[in-house]
Formats: sequence, C-alpha cells, structure tokens
Amino acid sequence: MKIGLETHVLLPTKTKLFCSDAVAVEQPNSSVCPVCMGLPGSKPVLNKEAVAIAVKISASLNCRINNKISFVRKVYFYPDLPKNFQITQLEEPVGEKGFVQIRGKKIRIRRIQIEEDPASIIREKDYTLVDFNRSGAPLVEIVTEPDIGNEEELRDFYTELNSLLYYVGVDIEKEVKSDLNLSVAEERVEVKNVTGINNLLGAARYEAARQTAVIKSGESVRLETRSYDEKSRTTKVSREKETEEEYGFLYETDLTNYDTDWALVQPVRPASLIAQEWAGEYNVPENRIREAIMFNKEALSLLDHGRNLYGFGEMLAVIRLLKQADIMNVTSEGFGRLVSAVKNGASPDKTTLEKYLRGVEIPDAGTVDESEILSEIKKVLEKDKSIKEKYKKNPNIVNFVVGEVSKGKNVDRKALAKLVKKEIEDLL
Amino acid sequence: MTSSISKFVRSEKREGYYDRLVTDLTGLNDRLNAFSVIDGNMKVGFPLSVKDNLCVKGFECTASSKILRGYIPPFSATVVERALNAGFSFLGKTRMDEFGFGTFGINNDKPVRNPFDERRVAGGSSAGSAVATSIMKYHVSLAESTGGSISAPAAFCGVVGFTPTYGLLSRYGLIDYANSLDKVGVMGRSSQDVRYLFDKVKGYDRRDSTSVDSALKSRETKNLMIVEELLDKVEDRVKTRFLGFLDRLKGNGYSVESVSAKDLEHSIAAYYIISMAEASTNLAKYCGFKYGLKVDDFTKGYNDFFSEARASFGAEAKRRILLGTFVRGKSVRSRYYSRATKIRRAVINRLKALTKKGLLISPTMPVLTPTFEEVEKLTPVQNYAMDILTVPPNLAGMPHVSFPYDYLNGLPLGAQAVSDHFDDYTLLDFVSEWEKGFRYEFKYNLGDL
Repeated sequence: MKIGLETHVLLPTKTKLFCSDAVAVEQPNSSVCPVCMGLPGSKPVLNKEAVAIAVKISASLNCRINNKISFVRKVYFYPDLPKNFQITQLEEPVGEKGFVQIRGKKIRIRRIQIEEDPASIIREKDYTLVDFNRSGAPLVEIVTEPDIGNEEELRDFYTELNSLLYYVGVDIEKEVKSDLNLSVAEERVEVKNVTGINNLLGAARYEAARQTAVIKSGESVRLETRSYDEKSRTTKVSREKETEEEYGFLYETDLTNYDTDWALVQPVRPASLIAQEWAGEYNVPENRIREAIMFNKEALSLLDHGRNLYGFGEMLAVIRLLKQADIMNVTSEGFGRLVSAVKNGASPDKTTLEKYLRGVEIPDAGTVDESEILSEIKKVLEKDKSIKEKYKKNPNIVNFVVGEVSKGKNVDRKALAKLVKKEIEDLL
Repeated sequence: MTSSISKFVRSEKREGYYDRLVTDLTGLNDRLNAFSVIDGNMKVGFPLSVKDNLCVKGFECTASSKILRGYIPPFSATVVERALNAGFSFLGKTRMDEFGFGTFGINNDKPVRNPFDERRVAGGSSAGSAVATSIMKYHVSLAESTGGSISAPAAFCGVVGFTPTYGLLSRYGLIDYANSLDKVGVMGRSSQDVRYLFDKVKGYDRRDSTSVDSALKSRETKNLMIVEELLDKVEDRVKTRFLGFLDRLKGNGYSVESVSAKDLEHSIAAYYIISMAEASTNLAKYCGFKYGLKVDDFTKGYNDFFSEARASFGAEAKRRILLGTFVRGKSVRSRYYSRATKIRRAVINRLKALTKKGLLISPTMPVLTPTFEEVEKLTPVQNYAMDILTVPPNLAGMPHVSFPYDYLNGLPLGAQAVSDHFDDYTLLDFVSEWEKGFRYEFKYNLGDL
C-alpha cells in the first residue's frame, strides 16, 4: 500500500493572503473587499507574514527553501472561486524536497506551496449560499511523496506533522485538512478533504480494503476522486477522472517574484526528537515525554527549564496533574514548588494544585466574588446554628466552615477564614 | 511652449462654459460614439476623459463589454484618483474595443468614428480617448495600451499618444486584458499636455505590486534608427510621406540610420499568444454571478449558468478566450506559450541594444486610416498584422509615443518613437522639439475659450 497526503493548513496571519481583510470572521460576507471578491480592477498584494510562516513550516519540514518564489493562476470554474482561478504556486513553490522523520523512516515532502482559500459554500435543501469571508485566506499545501506504507506510519506521520505545525503556531484543532492518495496496485484514488487522524485512518482502511476487493474480483481500480463519509465510515465516488485535470496554469503577473531570504528563521525542533534525547538522558520512557510535549508548549518549556533542577519523572507527573486539572500558565517557580510537593508524596487535587501555585502568577479567572462568598457563609451558619456556640469553646471550628464554603472554588483560604470569623463574631 | 493646461487654468472662463462644452460634446458624440458616459455635472477643472477599462468610483465601467453592463466600481483607479487630486475634472468614460481586443475601435456596441472622416475608423482599442482628444481644445485622456492601443488611435486621430514604461503608471483599477503587457498611458494635443498629466499620475502604488518609482532619464540624442524589415510592411503612400518626414528631421540635425532586426517580425505571434493566454484567465471571472450582466435563473446547473452569461461576449473576445485557453493547455504549452515568452525575451534584448544608441522611429500604422468597409474585409490574421509596428515596444514594455507628422488627403499621419526603459522623458522631449516646427490640424475645437 502506498499513501501520499496533500495537507492544507490555514496560516495564522492577521489578514488574508492578498488583501487586508481579517481572516476568520463570523458574520457571513462581512470580511470582504474588491480583491477577495475578485472585482474587476482589483489587484492582489502579497501578505509577507504568510510568506514568513510558510518559510518556517518549510524549514521545519527540512525543505529546500526557494530564494525566489512566484505564483500562478490555476483556472477552473466554480462558484466558490471569485475570479474563477486560484492563485497558487507551481514552479517556484516556497519549499521543496523535504522530509518528516517518523520512527525509523523518512516520509519525503515533495513540495510546500502557498495558495489562497476559496470561499465557503453552504448547501441548504433548496438553495446554496456562498460566504466570501474565507475567500483569500492564506493556506499552505504540504504534499508528500507516496512514502506512507501502512496505517501506523500514517498515524505517526500525521502526529509528527501536526506537532511541527503546532509548534510553528498553527491552530491544528480546526485548520488542517488533507487529501489522501492511496493505491494498493497501479491506479491511485484520491479521497478529498478528510479532517482529523481518525477519519484519515478510517478512509485509508476502507480504501485499502475496497481496492483489494476490486482487484481480487479481477477488475482494476479506476483513477477517481472520492469523498469520505464520516457516518458510514466509507468512501464514495465524487468524480471520475479519465485523465489528470487540465488547469491551464499561467504565471500570475499581477504579482512579481519575491525573495524569501529575509524570512529565514530557525526551524522548529521536532518535539519527538527532543523526547528521544531526554528519554536517553534522564532515563524516562520516551512515550511519557512524547505524551507530555508533542502538543504542549508550556510543558516543553517547563521541562526544559527544570530538567537540570528537578527529577524528570516527578516533573512529568506534575505536568500530567496540571493537564488533568486543565491548568495553564504555570510559572517556573510555582512549577518548582509543585514538583517538590509531589516528590514529598503529595497527590494534590485541583484545589490543592492551585494552592501550591497561588500567590505566584495564576490567572484570576477562577476567583469568586466576595458577596457570593458571604452569602455562602451565611447559609452554612444558618443551617447549623450550633456553630457559633462551638466557636466560643473552639475557634478552630472556623476551618470547618472554610472547608464547606470553599468546596470546588478557587479561593484564598486565609482570607476566607478571616471573613468567616468576622461573620460568626457578628452573630454573637 | 507651455502646456495648454496651465493656460486653461489661468484663464477666465465664460459663464456656462462647462455646460456648453457638455452640450456640444453630447451632440457630436451622438455621431462619433467616443463616450459611453458623459458626466454633465462637471463645473471646474481641466477636462479629463478616462478609457472605459479604468474604474471611476460611482460610474458604470464596462470595458465596452456587454457582460459588464451595470458594473459600478466601488473604487477609483489609482491614476484616476491622482489626476482628480491634481485638479483635473472627470468628463466621461471613453468607448473602446471590448476589453481592449481590437485595433480599430469597432469591437463594441457602437463603432467609434474618426472625426477627420466619419466613414473611417478611429483606431483602437483606445478609440474614444483619441477621438475625445481630437475634438476638444482643452482636454487630456487617460488611456491604456496592451499591444498598441494608444499609438494606433492616436495616429489615426492626429493626437499625441504616450505609452510609458511598463509599471510607471499603476494598474490598480484597470480592468485587465493581459497583466504583463497592460500599460496605462496618456493622450493629449501636445507633448506638454501629455507630460503634465503623466507627471501627476506616475509612480509606485502599494496596491499594484508591479508598479515602480524610478528616476526618469532624459538623454539628448540626435540618433534615430529605422528597422528595415518593419518599414517594408508599410504601404507605399504612407512610406513615401514618412521618408519625407525623415528628411525634415535630418534637416533639423538628426541622423537616421537603417538597421536590420529580422527577429522583430516574430513579435506579433508572440504578442498574441501571451496576451490571449493572459486574457483568457482574466476573462474567467465574468460569469453573470456577482456584478455586471446577471443571469436570472439561479436554478440552472453551474455549467449552464456560466455558459449563458458568457454567451454575451463579443466575437473577438470569444476568439481570444478560445485561443488563449488552447495555448495554455498542458500538451501544447511548450509549443506555444513557452516559445512566445522566449521570443519576448529576445525582442526585449534586441530593442534594448538598439535603443541604447538612440530612438527607433517608424510610421505608427502601416496603412492610411481605413474605412469601415475596408476593415470589415480583413481576416483576423490580417487584422492582427496591422499591429506590426506597435507590438514590438509593447511586448518589451518600452516607452513609445505616437504623434502626427503630416496630413494626407485630409487624414493625419502618425509616427512612433521608441526609447529604452525609463527613458520616457527623452521621447517627450523629442516630440516637443518636433512640435516647434509643426502645426497641428483638427476638425473640431470644442470648448475653445
């Protein structure tokens, strides 16, 4: 089995590829202008920020970066394409001949090109709408060679690619979609627009089985474009193609050639490679490190900062705890305190984790306002009227009230104790 | 010699001057068809007309195509904006060959007529701009040339038509014909008027990535060259007059050298292949969907919907879309498009080498202004061959200027001078020198003070 992927990635720029409209706006057709609507007389102007990000992606995927890049028109008629051609790259794409290293194998990258996104088509029952907000959004298309040999490699490649993109700054949750090219024999079949690893694996599994069955029945696989149906987990024909499409590519001469040398930056170091190194260095299972850092910048930075200060195993344990509790933005000092606590045998819940971190620099998002706290205190005192009597004998009863009130809340227990004390004394 | 623009601006105008200009113009335009839109509200400033492929905010812009009927651009072309900021006043949109596809100004709804003889063509594609310049005493026009669309009508209408170096005038707001060849330019009744407007609108524009700011040179040169192979294409009666013109230039102290440049003959084929290839992609966007002509029936399938809208292109536009699409095809690309780009490179090198030594000079058109009947008899290929003298500098993006040098049977004869890239002022200075001993003749002088 041979698999090649063409992955489209939305670049995290402020504005579109050829005009100054914002990308990703909710209200339909509100982020449009003469350029991205393709009005006669308008002209594209290249967004340099998109070039910089595309260069960084290319460098991180070990591509040769072309010093000069140019653009072409890919001509086809479709209502989502305002000019009826897409501005993309052909002969001088931003990156060429790279690779992504997965376990024990290199998946070669054929090319990485910058191109504009078409508008989005919204199909309703009796009519179709077009939203041009997406028209002209900056994409890169990452094309691999057909080097992926099985499902496991597909998963590894996809994870590795996404991790690299994540570290470049792409929002991989929603902005990555792939075309899967798969062949078990001669002819390849293209499955368009598959999102997420589970769907990719599903599509690959189904296609491999289907093509094998076609061949076993004595027929041959047809060159065609298919789509993946998530519900039935099958692929179905969307277009038969007798030959390769004819797009009549032509230079986009409203744009010139652009230098890329100004955009050259340090490539992203694969998190997988870092995991491998640290696993050897600190004698910790590689998978545990991968799990912590493949898609977690904060974790990577905390580990990097603390790796010669604290035990690696404890740090990983703390990162797992933080992740479970969904706590972000931990300072290295707070992290250090947590690691020491865990080392001493603590097994803190979310509240306790936050207690350890408190006073350092955690966001206020979880704090509760005072009037609410006061009414909570009053409720507790109302419910158990004996508390104020007990207080006279043992002021430590305050701690019981604090415990009741602070359940599930991110509050300063010391300050709360003061409040409780005041409330009880007011009652006496 | 000062430009008529400064004279006009300083002068006291009679009351109702502009209203009368608009009335007279509207009357004459009914016969000549130079304007598709006349703005009757103009009250101040030096009258400026704009070729109908340049957007003027709020005014219908169709590039004389049915498919764009009703398109009102929400923005103005940069050159228009700059001209208006410099005090020019918008007078109207001038008729052209549809999308610039033509040499005679007849590929549109109403053929543009020559003011010197209304049975004859005005030349194209900037037909209306040339006619407007030829009939109004105080007026300049923003026009555009892809393969000779300024020179040809300027020659037939007896005005100065200046096509600057590619990129000097922003193309933002220009409805594209062939992006790598399209050049905005200027028409006027003297080199001074032309230069005045050119200076106000030239230079880099951040909205057009191919626009440039460049220090323009003016070299004093007395060296003129004629290309033998090109002169051979010129009909005898025109050639005879042109040789007489050269004699007068020699008398004025110029040297005229005859040079051979056989490869320039291929420029017509290369030009039409490149321009049609680019045009066929530019015209893809017109599909009756969002602006201009609208197809009402949204229940149609996409292909039927697009086909219905695109049936409204004129015959020449359809021919260029078909040929242009063909030459871009994967299987024939190397045979046509790629070879054409090599020829373009060779033509640029050849012309650069020649213009280092001086100015190239030739008649602008190989024939005397033809009648409508004569033009109708031409096959498409004969028609394209009329551009043999104007295409080489256009293909090379080099500045060139057409100006009248003589009159034959009451019809103006135009000569074209070509200089090196960014040597634009050299050309205007050359014409200015010639004007010192030449009397322009015009049939109409609407708006005389």
